Amino acid sequence: MFMQTWLLPFALLATATIVAFPLSRYMAWIMDGKYRPLPVMGWFEKRLDSGPQNWKQYIGSLLLFNTVLFVFGYLVLMLQPFMPLNPDGKTMLAPSTIFNSVISFMTNTNLQHYSGDQHLSNFSQIFFCISNMYISAAIGLCALVAIIRALRSDSSLGNFFVDMWRVLIYMFVPVAFLFAFIFITQGSPMTFKSFHQVSTLEPAAMGTTDKGEAKQQTIVVGPVAALESIKMLGTNGGGFYGMNSAHPFENPTALSNFFNTLAMMIFPFALVIMYGRMLGRMRHSYVIFIVMLALMAGTVVWSVHYDTLKPNPGLTAHAARTLEIPGAKASDVKKSVTFAAVAGLPVDQHLGNLEGKEMRFGTSAGATFDALTTDVTCGAVNAEEDSLNPIAALAPMVGMWINSIYGGKGVGMINMLLYIIIGIFIAGMMVGRTPEYLGKKIEAREVKLAAIAVLVHPFMILAPTALFAVMHWGVDAVSNPGAHGFSQILYQFSSASANNGSAFDGLGVTYGFYNATSPAPSAVAFDIAAGLVMLFSRFLPIIAPIAMAAYLGAKKTSPVGLGTLRDDDATFGLFLLATILIIGALLFLPAAALGPIAEHLGPFPVGG
Amino acid sequence: MFKIFSKSILLIVFSVVICCILYPIALWAVGQVLFPSQSNGSMLMGPDGKPVGSRLIAQPFTKDEYFQPRPSAASYDASASASSSLAGSNYALRDRVARTLGPIVAYRSGPKAGQPVAPDIEQWFQKDKFQGAPHIVAQWADMHNSLAQAWVTSDATHTAYVSAWAKTHPKDVAQFMKDNPAVSQPKEADLAVTFFKSFSAENAGKFPSVVTRKGKDGKPQTTIEPVTAGSDIQSIFFDMWRQDHADADIQDIPGDLVTTSASGLDPHISLQNAEFQLDRVAPKWAADLKRDQAEVRKEIEQILQKNASAAWNGLIGEKFVNVLEINLKLRNKYGEPR
Repeated sequence: MFMQTWLLPFALLATATIVAFPLSRYMAWIMDGKYRPLPVMGWFEKRLDSGPQNWKQYIGSLLLFNTVLFVFGYLVLMLQPFMPLNPDGKTMLAPSTIFNSVISFMTNTNLQHYSGDQHLSNFSQIFFCISNMYISAAIGLCALVAIIRALRSDSSLGNFFVDMWRVLIYMFVPVAFLFAFIFITQGSPMTFKSFHQVSTLEPAAMGTTDKGEAKQQTIVVGPVAALESIKMLGTNGGGFYGMNSAHPFENPTALSNFFNTLAMMIFPFALVIMYGRMLGRMRHSYVIFIVMLALMAGTVVWSVHYDTLKPNPGLTAHAARTLEIPGAKASDVKKSVTFAAVAGLPVDQHLGNLEGKEMRFGTSAGATFDALTTDVTCGAVNAEEDSLNPIAALAPMVGMWINSIYGGKGVGMINMLLYIIIGIFIAGMMVGRTPEYLGKKIEAREVKLAAIAVLVHPFMILAPTALFAVMHWGVDAVSNPGAHGFSQILYQFSSASANNGSAFDGLGVTYGFYNATSPAPSAVAFDIAAGLVMLFSRFLPIIAPIAMAAYLGAKKTSPVGLGTLRDDDATFGLFLLATILIIGALLFLPAAALGPIAEHLGPFPVGG
Repeated sequence: MFKIFSKSILLIVFSVVICCILYPIALWAVGQVLFPSQSNGSMLMGPDGKPVGSRLIAQPFTKDEYFQPRPSAASYDASASASSSLAGSNYALRDRVARTLGPIVAYRSGPKAGQPVAPDIEQWFQKDKFQGAPHIVAQWADMHNSLAQAWVTSDATHTAYVSAWAKTHPKDVAQFMKDNPAVSQPKEADLAVTFFKSFSAENAGKFPSVVTRKGKDGKPQTTIEPVTAGSDIQSIFFDMWRQDHADADIQDIPGDLVTTSASGLDPHISLQNAEFQLDRVAPKWAADLKRDQAEVRKEIEQILQKNASAAWNGLIGEKFVNVLEINLKLRNKYGEPR
């Protein structure tokens, strides 16, 4: 049992770490332009090259390109009914859902307020989902590379369009092809057909139609393998099917699950080492890597311990409890509340909480995946997050709140850079010296930019969560009673702001097609609010750090002296870890106490 | 500005051509040539040579001769995968699990070891006392308003039954409207709790259930009538019975038998679950085939063992079997179930 539980998470962390070293070397080689392209490829590259850019031009290109991408995505989804590969005549999504989905995919979030198998044709899956999955992941990576070049005081930040081309062609396409091939061998469909209609082995087990004939099973297929690999590699996470990597076609076996999980980890892992390689500061990046790995191991162990090794508390026995209500002094106020004892149901739960888990992946696969998916900001799921044991669900939430436990393509490392700047600033204040990073003095302007970028995230989570929790929008949408309902709203905006994309699926946010007869009552409100959150939380934390890095890079490098705070030893690592944990706890502990922690403390069950 | 714009367009065009046209077509070609079965959805052929489903997608089975997949929040609709999304703290989860358990659980020890619990639930129900207070059904509706309402709306015949009750009980309806002035025109679902309370007072130890009788024309007719036994009582009231009998030692049921999967289409059940179902499946086939039970059981047991697999050969998980594959083997070996 010990090995069955812990071998998979260990194997994943170990493999991703090992892969990160050669992959980071390759990535640094590509991004530094040391390769010699094939003549054909060189032709494309020359067409795209608009010349060396400074940081304002780089950001300008990035933003303008995203605007074009937004229009492109909007057109593809809007024109779905008129496009090919749509044999069952899927019509247009609701406009608010299109708005949400286009931003969601453009920002690498892939929060899905629709269900892929029900609402998208294969044309949209390919030209909307796959295109955005490739492109949005590359954008984050380019932003990081621009920051690195700025920090090492390069004469220019390079060219945005050439960088994008390099990432897409030399990194994503070949690796995605390899992983897609593995997924095909395991059973992921790769066809342009849309569905099979079959008569089930036991006729009429699906029920009968109005005419009294046996209902058939409609099995949706499509280019699943092609989407699946870039969905994971690009830490996008928007499933071909509604239930994402839990669906047997997206993730057919335990082996495919291993590669599925590994795929979302390799680029975020490699990026950290690439950061050190390109800066020529390997030891510094190792320290960051170890801090991230420790945090990641923490979330995985937490999730597995509370979900795989503990039964679902909704089915177990609970002793009677009487709780004092603190501060209840007036004689007319009840001073305590009593919960009656609850008898357990006769269910063998030695495999942990199996509600919302699949059988084929292995014992701890669901809990492991759930923690990793938010650490690396992927947002795919292979188990239902809503049904996780309440306190286990804290692990994915913490991943989104910290948002830099490796984090998404590039942006995770950028977020970590912000924590480093703030950490060094605090350390400098404590010892009374001018704080420096990479030999550059950190002054008011840099700290202001870093603080803005760091504070956007909690503001974008907590403000809308509070708003929706008091408005009918939130109340109408939650599907579970009590503290868990609050968790559902909190998770929604955490996921949007972290550009993650996983969800507590019970939350009613689906409008469906524009002519839907009974859309979720709060769907439009969630579509728009989450859309805006994703937009701001994506671009502010990219723009501000590029500016900050540019200001830093323009400064003179001061020589390393005896009083310099080293950034490549254990002291620095521990200090960074403490900075992250303390800032994270200050920002999010109150919300956590109202959601998963309150639910965990009981009573069980509630409502009904 | 224009230069940046034109480069942006160019980049979109290039990436769409490569990522959305060349990449999927190359994969499609490789998949269709090297792994045609997987690429097309791993379809399985039935006894008549026509596809009966996908090896990877669960489909429902109702007959006792077949193994049953895990319960599905998607009703096994492979065009709309879904999970239950029920939190552990949500009573709806406990209720759903308890309803599955009631009719199938058995005592583990004591004088009744091995015997089903269901008859005892019915006996307890007929006495109509829960935790010392009378009227089980009234208490149930009072504690679980939404379940009572769900009963009323889940079936047209239920709604009609409550509607008929409302006509013969104008006093109760009037009282409800007095207590709930906000509801001007109460629907059947609104009246659910009032209905069950009145029903419970008039029919001690009974619950409204479907009864099938021969009609005047000789055809079977179904009506809703107060009953004292049956699967409704065994399932709906198992959780309450359990609260009254917390000390009863009952055999544990495999977890995956009562929990829904994440996709609603999980094609597998644990081997432990299959072994549990074997107690139902083997005698049924034996009766169909008029053969010795032990012999048939041994044959099916062998099929299970032979087809069981585990994640990474058991390194990271326990054994499971594919339900459709096993049932297809049973169908091919033993023919159509009666």
